[in-house]
Amino acid sequence: MSNNEMARMKFYCDDQRCIECNGCSVACAEAHELPTGVSRRKVITLNEGVEGKEFSTSVACMHCTDAPCEQVCPVDCFYIREDGIVLHDKDVCIGCGYCLYACPFGAPQFPRDGAFGTKGAMDKCTMCAGGPLETNSAHERELYGQNRIAEGKVPMCAAMCSTKALIVGSADEVAKIYRTRIAAKGKGVQSAPYGWSKAYSN
Amino acid sequence: MKKYLFLSIASLFLASAAFAADSQIWDAMRIQNIYGYGQVESLGLGPLFTMLQANYFAQIFLAVLIGVPAVFLLHYLVIGPKVFSHDGKKIYAFSIFNRIVHQVAAISFIVLIPTGFIMTFGSYFGGGEFVRMMKDLHGIATISFGIVVIPMFLMWIKDMLPNFDDIKWMMIVGGYLSKEKKPVPAGKFNAGQKSWYWIATLGGMVMILTGATMYFLDFDIEMVRSMTGLSQIDLLRVAAILHAFFGMLVVALFFTHVYMAVFAIKGAIHSIITGYKEEEEVEILHSSWYKKLKKEGKI
Repeated sequence: MSNNEMARMKFYCDDQRCIECNGCSVACAEAHELPTGVSRRKVITLNEGVEGKEFSTSVACMHCTDAPCEQVCPVDCFYIREDGIVLHDKDVCIGCGYCLYACPFGAPQFPRDGAFGTKGAMDKCTMCAGGPLETNSAHERELYGQNRIAEGKVPMCAAMCSTKALIVGSADEVAKIYRTRIAAKGKGVQSAPYGWSKAYSN
Repeated sequence: MKKYLFLSIASLFLASAAFAADSQIWDAMRIQNIYGYGQVESLGLGPLFTMLQANYFAQIFLAVLIGVPAVFLLHYLVIGPKVFSHDGKKIYAFSIFNRIVHQVAAISFIVLIPTGFIMTFGSYFGGGEFVRMMKDLHGIATISFGIVVIPMFLMWIKDMLPNFDDIKWMMIVGGYLSKEKKPVPAGKFNAGQKSWYWIATLGGMVMILTGATMYFLDFDIEMVRSMTGLSQIDLLRVAAILHAFFGMLVVALFFTHVYMAVFAIKGAIHSIITGYKEEEEVEILHSSWYKKLKKEGKI
């Protein structure tokens, strides 16, 4: 970055490149040793069967600007890092589910680990940036998964994406790649990336 | 016997496995659940819920929590309580069945309301283990209320149907704005009690259903889906909005009910414990019922 301002981290899934291999989802689940039934990242296919309109894309927490989950949480367990990554404190979360109702992407998930099937603390994509606990501690790893950002690594899903459809990085870098790709194609109309109008409109 | 026990436990496990496998939110249904992609017209419930929860719900609950008792404190200081003789004759008003059903509901409410408030203002309690425990208590108290809500609805419905006395009662706000002891038009239950009855029973049932929807979160009930036509997340959003809205009504009227029984009419609370009301109290506050009992020669 040229200026002193923190980079704004964003996800971008190029739906022209996504081949619905589900590699991102598997890589994420493996890297973070997620419990069965929880997948922080999911590949979805839209307009299935509609000729010319069908496309697949990878969805997880988009780490929205003015995150709706953060606004509705009754116990204020969310916090937004300077680089825009939306994280939450599982020791504070009461598993009420409000963040899920507010989320435009269906990202928050609730493992049923309590007695009588009560909802446990919410789990979602951390952009591989862990949680509020001591960075790279065993406790952080157990609750939130790897903290790859702290180690200077790319989040797992984007790192292993075979077609490089899924990209994560600072807003400037992502925009640069996005523009280069459109310019290289040189034809057709490219709409805004799926989900961006909801996540990064402000 | 052992075999049956084993079978029932095994089927429970199978049921919960099916529960997890057919997620209505995160699997194939995820596409329907995600708000706002292209051509599917969205109901906009996501932004609506976010706006209400972020800016209004907790604030309104706070206003009810402070405002309603404040109004009653003012009423108590300015107009004061109604005092009736407790030495006169007594009129049998509530059977033992009435009282048991009422007491179970009362205890449930005494748990439900504070735990609900603690969740609403969860951030001031720091969240975590304590608020989680309150959330579980909120769910447990729902079970006891759920058991008595239908008997309560049925046992009083005949006396709770609206009539002309209610309009007259409303016009003079039940006589609570004056210190005079003038007969107030009301049957066995006055218009205020009737309002509370309908909110507590029908509103209470809405609270149970919407609360259960949020508690179970990820379920697949064909009837619910075909009746509402909503995606699972939109169903949850509607449930959360209704739960908050009816919660406000129930809490406001609950406070009123407690104020009336404990403070506004001195000693009125004893009627739901012993089953007997004071004759003078009935004569003034339930004058139509008093006349009816007199005509029937029951007094």
